[in-house]
Amino acid sequence: MEHAETAGNKIVFSVWFGLLGLTVFEVILAYRQLPLETMLTVLMFLSVIKAALIIAYFMHLRYERASLFVTLIPALVFVLIMMTVIFADSSRLAHMRSLVQ
Amino acid sequence: MSSLDGPVSAAAVHDAHDIPSWGGGSLPYAVPSKKLGMWLFIVSDAITFSAVIFAYGYLRLAAAAWPRPFETPSIVNATVMTFVLLSSSVAMVLAVRASSLGKVSGAVGWLVATALGGVIFDVLHIREWLGLIGEGVRPFHNPWGTPMFGAAFFTMTGLHMLHVTIGVVYLLVIAVGFGRRKFSAADVEVSGLYWHFVDLVWMFIFPLVYLLSAKTA
Amino acid sequence: MANMPMEAQVHHHAAPTGFIRKYIFSLDHKVIGKQYYFLAIVSVFLGMVLSWLVRIHLVWPNVHIWGLGAFSPAGAPGGVISPEYYLSLLTIHGTLMVFFVLTTAPQAGFGNYALPIQIGAEDMAFPTLNMLSFWVTFLALCALVATLFVPDGPPISGWTAYPPLSAVGTIAGPGQGMGQNLWAVSIALFCIGSLLGALNFITTTVDLRCTGMTLMRMPVTCWAWLITAILSLLSFAVLFAACVLLILDRNAGTSFFLPSGLLVNGQLQNHAGGSPLLWQHLFWFFGHPEVYIAIVPGFGVISHVLSVFSRKPVLGYKIIVICLLAIGFLSFTVWGHHMFLSGMSPYSGFLFSIPTLIITIPATIISLLWLGTVFGGRLRFTTCMMFALGFVSVFVTGGLGGMFLAQPSLDIFLHGTYFVVGHFHMVMGVAAIFGMFAGTYFWFPKMFGRMMNERLGKVHFWITFVGVYCIFMPMHFIGLEGMPRRYSSFLNEAMQPLMPVHKFMTIAALITGASQFIFLFNLFWSMYKGPKAPENPWESTTLEWTVSSPPPFDNFGGKHPVVYHDAYEYGDVQNGKDYVMQTDPPG
Repeated sequence: MEHAETAGNKIVFSVWFGLLGLTVFEVILAYRQLPLETMLTVLMFLSVIKAALIIAYFMHLRYERASLFVTLIPALVFVLIMMTVIFADSSRLAHMRSLVQ
Repeated sequence: MSSLDGPVSAAAVHDAHDIPSWGGGSLPYAVPSKKLGMWLFIVSDAITFSAVIFAYGYLRLAAAAWPRPFETPSIVNATVMTFVLLSSSVAMVLAVRASSLGKVSGAVGWLVATALGGVIFDVLHIREWLGLIGEGVRPFHNPWGTPMFGAAFFTMTGLHMLHVTIGVVYLLVIAVGFGRRKFSAADVEVSGLYWHFVDLVWMFIFPLVYLLSAKTA
Repeated sequence: MANMPMEAQVHHHAAPTGFIRKYIFSLDHKVIGKQYYFLAIVSVFLGMVLSWLVRIHLVWPNVHIWGLGAFSPAGAPGGVISPEYYLSLLTIHGTLMVFFVLTTAPQAGFGNYALPIQIGAEDMAFPTLNMLSFWVTFLALCALVATLFVPDGPPISGWTAYPPLSAVGTIAGPGQGMGQNLWAVSIALFCIGSLLGALNFITTTVDLRCTGMTLMRMPVTCWAWLITAILSLLSFAVLFAACVLLILDRNAGTSFFLPSGLLVNGQLQNHAGGSPLLWQHLFWFFGHPEVYIAIVPGFGVISHVLSVFSRKPVLGYKIIVICLLAIGFLSFTVWGHHMFLSGMSPYSGFLFSIPTLIITIPATIISLLWLGTVFGGRLRFTTCMMFALGFVSVFVTGGLGGMFLAQPSLDIFLHGTYFVVGHFHMVMGVAAIFGMFAGTYFWFPKMFGRMMNERLGKVHFWITFVGVYCIFMPMHFIGLEGMPRRYSSFLNEAMQPLMPVHKFMTIAALITGASQFIFLFNLFWSMYKGPKAPENPWESTTLEWTVSSPPPFDNFGGKHPVVYHDAYEYGDVQNGKDYVMQTDPPG
């Protein structure tokens, strides 16, 4: 059974508009003057969604075998999650600096 | 042996006797090896970018006062750059589709369009860099706050710009080669994966570098 | 949906002609494997000479070493090693050994040579990329060796290159200018070479297995190379980023790793905003998977070889595979145990010590399965088998030291002492090297078409085996007494009673080191004068022993092997043979 090398036009252009829309939303959000942590969380969340759309539809991973996804993405996500452990020291550094000032 | 050109035809598939996909003698992921290789490269390069971005996050979280100097024109410029890159990704999708359908001139056209998107991105980016350098931003100093602002900015965007530029060259090589029937549709698809990855990284750099340093007051 | 099987692509390239294509810029995985192997041989002997200089200096600090004064007038005036040059020698010793010996030969050396043949493939998935990987690695070695020759000498920051020392430039000491830059460039290049190699290994193992070669029929060696490649793919990426940031700090004025208010030699540095701890996190995030990259191929070779020379299947093959996967996974969760005393969050310390202790479990299970493999077997005590058995001994001994270091409360006393040095040398400098020796003695007949001399091999083994215990076991005890590492001399009263131990270790090191020349002689002599090797001298079941020694350029002479059996069918005597080749027809 053949599979198309790319998704159909409707999906591709929908994803494109979705990505542009999310970008505009992010820019508007940036001007809302929210606290830094909230802003960071929301922006990262949106970036992950945009990345997921690109990976799934432009890079075609949605249409590949599930095993390919399972091989690539969980390992990457695991490494990224492990790297976040370093932020414990970053916030401690911030705390120490605030004490000195 | 099995061709790398175009999608697997139904006939070829039925000729391949019922081998379980992990049983040896077949491709378990049903993708050509070059594509798997590029995916693996992308995973590794994603981790490299992530390490640089995590380093930026680490230092910014720990910093006393991180400047937020990007006024509206800068943000607009960066947003336009984002649009250009996203659109070039669409062009890339169309190039891959054209190549898989055997439409050589169409594929070459879309590949060149994608590369053009990359060039426009680079030009806008360099213009921005020159502007910032003119305002006194250096990797070791800037007029607004902690010297690490410039360092983080130039390192992240510089690493990304390097990838875009390499991508432009790569795509043009593929375009010429595919036009001359030296490369196959699978090669076009593999180059597409790289290009989308470069776009994907920008999806993170844009908010983390620009939006979080937008002058909103 | 793409859920139909696709036939694997097979390369069809003609046999290479011309000297350059055959031996220099070869696309043949067998040649590239040998190239990596000889790169490691050169590196290990250079690294060993550096270790002799280090050990001699510790015991006889004022001796005039012949030739050294001429080689480095600044570092060793009159042939007497200065304290800074001591650190330089240490740095290059460590960098050479960890990267250019233990991360090349076990994986890229033996793996490149044997993996494609063991899985029934003609070559690796990306031969050109393979060639590129080697030459990039070679370039990296040139950059590193160049540090020995630049006027200011090699860096003094250790193989771990901690900032601020490594990041502030020449003001920090000799070798911190050009030397450190070359080091960073060398390692960055090495990262690229490793990355390219890793994706080649993974793609090859996934895509190019021949018909019938399921994942669970692969020899343990192939699993080990696959898991090592995955670790490399994920961890070298972080080291590469760290090296880029270090190069920028040193040359572009950035301050990723340099805080404000830093006084070096009384001068205030013009940096602000960075954190030296960040380097440690990035470095060790790579650094811990790296030590598993160094040892896991050895696990594979030893598991394999113990089975062959016990004439028994590997005990618990499936469990070994699961344990290797567990070790790979856990290796990303433990890096902070190198940083217990760095000033990082103590909660992180606790978080890291738990998986560090847990990771001993799969390693222990594998060690016990090795013993179970050997137990009750009809042992053939070839040199290869001796090194494999020796591996079990030294790995367990060295690994036990790790259990002490895993606990932050104990590490407070043991960090930075010879206990650590003893531990990592036993597991990396001995066990992993034993894995390389076992691999050499095992695959030499296949690689060169001749047999190595068994008598010389046994002499090499016994001197080495006894010697390494004499060198590295005492380090645990002097470490417990508080003797610090990376010191070029010990003037402290309290350390003086321990100096005879250093003398003992140095003499053992010199003797053991000298015996390696027996190996080197055996290696090169046998290449040209050894008795011709048959196709299957060890009566082993795996695919590389179904072809001539050495194999034809495309491994199987154009045929596509089909596999019917798993890799360890030893024991039952059928047709006068106590083994069944993987390619023997079923029944």
